[in-house]
Amino acid sequence: MPAGLSMRPASPFRLAGGSGRNWGRSQRGAARAGWVLSLPALAGVAALLVLPIGQAFYYSMTTWNGITSTWVGPDAYLQLFEDPTFLRVLENNGLLLLAMPVVIAIPLGIAFLLHEQIAGWKFFRSAVFLPTAISWVVIGVIAVRFYALHGILNSMLSAVGLGFIKTNMLGSTHEALAALAITLIWSQLGTNTIIFITGLAALDPSLAEAARVDGAGPLTVYRRVIIPQMIRFIQFAFIITVLTAFTAIFSLIFVMTGGGPDYGSTTLEFYVYQQAFSESAFGTGALLGVLLFVIVAGISVVQVRVLRARI
Amino acid sequence: MSQQAEQTELARSADQPDAGSAGLAGSASHGSPATVSSPARTRLTRRRRIRPARIVMFVTMIAVAVVMLYPLLYIVMTSFKSEVQYELGGGFSLASWRILVSSQPILRELLNSLIVSSCAVALIVVISTAAGFAFAKIRYRGRTLVFVLVVACMFVPLPSIVIPEYVNVSRFGVLDTYWGAIAVYAALGIPFSIFLMTTYFRGLSDDLIEAASIDGVSMWKMWWRLGVPLARPAMFTVAVLQFIQIWNDLLVGLLFLQNINDRTVTVGLALLSSGRVTSIPVLMAGSVMSIIPPIIVYLIFQRHLVRGITMGMGK
Repeated sequence: MPAGLSMRPASPFRLAGGSGRNWGRSQRGAARAGWVLSLPALAGVAALLVLPIGQAFYYSMTTWNGITSTWVGPDAYLQLFEDPTFLRVLENNGLLLLAMPVVIAIPLGIAFLLHEQIAGWKFFRSAVFLPTAISWVVIGVIAVRFYALHGILNSMLSAVGLGFIKTNMLGSTHEALAALAITLIWSQLGTNTIIFITGLAALDPSLAEAARVDGAGPLTVYRRVIIPQMIRFIQFAFIITVLTAFTAIFSLIFVMTGGGPDYGSTTLEFYVYQQAFSESAFGTGALLGVLLFVIVAGISVVQVRVLRARI
Repeated sequence: MSQQAEQTELARSADQPDAGSAGLAGSASHGSPATVSSPARTRLTRRRRIRPARIVMFVTMIAVAVVMLYPLLYIVMTSFKSEVQYELGGGFSLASWRILVSSQPILRELLNSLIVSSCAVALIVVISTAAGFAFAKIRYRGRTLVFVLVVACMFVPLPSIVIPEYVNVSRFGVLDTYWGAIAVYAALGIPFSIFLMTTYFRGLSDDLIEAASIDGVSMWKMWWRLGVPLARPAMFTVAVLQFIQIWNDLLVGLLFLQNINDRTVTVGLALLSSGRVTSIPVLMAGSVMSIIPPIIVYLIFQRHLVRGITMGMGK
């Protein structure tokens, strides 16, 4: 009978003094349907995401080369922080954050221009967004050609008479990470631009209008009226980009630098792979993975707060 | 406000945006010679003076478009050169494409990619449509808990679980089979897809469902007959996002599909690029080949992709 959903419990049948027994039965039917419909998701996530996190936590306290495993305990974490390579890797993650202002500012500028609906804005929007469809591997392949000794960057430099600056960024311990960051910026322009365009479209235009009537110039309007309203979108883009930089550019590093030279462009995520699948140090790999998970969870808590503030 | 005052007000507001917008465009393109000073006096001149700013904006966007599109143009052009032509600069040749197809199992890799990503996407769409409907439209005990648990897994990074995942998949004997990779891809895609589907279903009115429930229609039928057809746009969004993601992934393929006969095109390309003697035009031809399917999907379903990204903000 009625109101199985009980989205609004006061169904006409109940109001008419309806049969509580029937209502209860269909309520149970709905509950069963609800569980069965969500069960595949729950089972899949539990078996393939939650359980492995638990396993990773256990492995992280062992030394394990794939054949023999020895229990180390929580000391494993302390030992790791004495490892200079690990600290170097952590520093690389931190240095990637330096790219964040750029990866926010450029898309913000592009979004402003597109929002003004200049001629051909639809084409420009597609052009900016296109790299979103391209794999990190291909982006990496192109980036290698760009930075190579006989690559695009150097031929561009010599074309404008700066040929004496022969760069070999990927071959330099310090510059490889910068090359990686620049490539990351390029590939994230589209996603962030789309986020900001959405934000600009959702703005209340009357505020900017009021400011304009009060005599504020567009620069002031942008800085004092529009940017403050955009803060939540900026935070969202920031967090998405940090998560990408920390957890999703394995392939880019794999193709561009292989983590080198001398761990110069290895991030935590890539170090997991190196430790586990090149060095067969599965315990250390798992530990690094757990640390990455903790970092991401921290960032995600911030994001959930941001989202909640918006709703 | 008197007529006079209103007019001066208009003139003032007309004058300011002008100077400022030129200034903005100028700052965007780093010190381009936009006319920032010389104040406009009348509303008539305002119309004409908007133009330089707009031109600067347009030119800026052209520059941006070149930066975004040139790399793609570069790989396409380079792929149509032979090794020698690449070294020397000019020319056009299909040699590299011929070498690619004859020396690399690229067609097989494309097929593998297609099988793995379509199966995983199909699983994700079915599972997330079911769960999204349950979370948004059915009230049952434990619903919120399950929803939070599943969606929170959105933030489990692949590198954090890849080692246990590898262990489990080999224990189940599905390493180097499509099934292992499909299961891992599906699990990774499900949390975010469920988040999108639930958001979408919540936005749909309850009226139809209520009417149907009064008629005694079971929840199953409601999901299948009402929920699934209504959710078609969101299903497209989920499918497009996940297809591109899975097609472009390297790590799962690299570890879980190591046989040369099973590996995906992204893995093949990454290995090709790390080979020391690989001819660059051949590598470029492989790159072009591997991005054609996602680009086609992108061009057809761009709208859905954009919606997927912005829906992620909880809109």
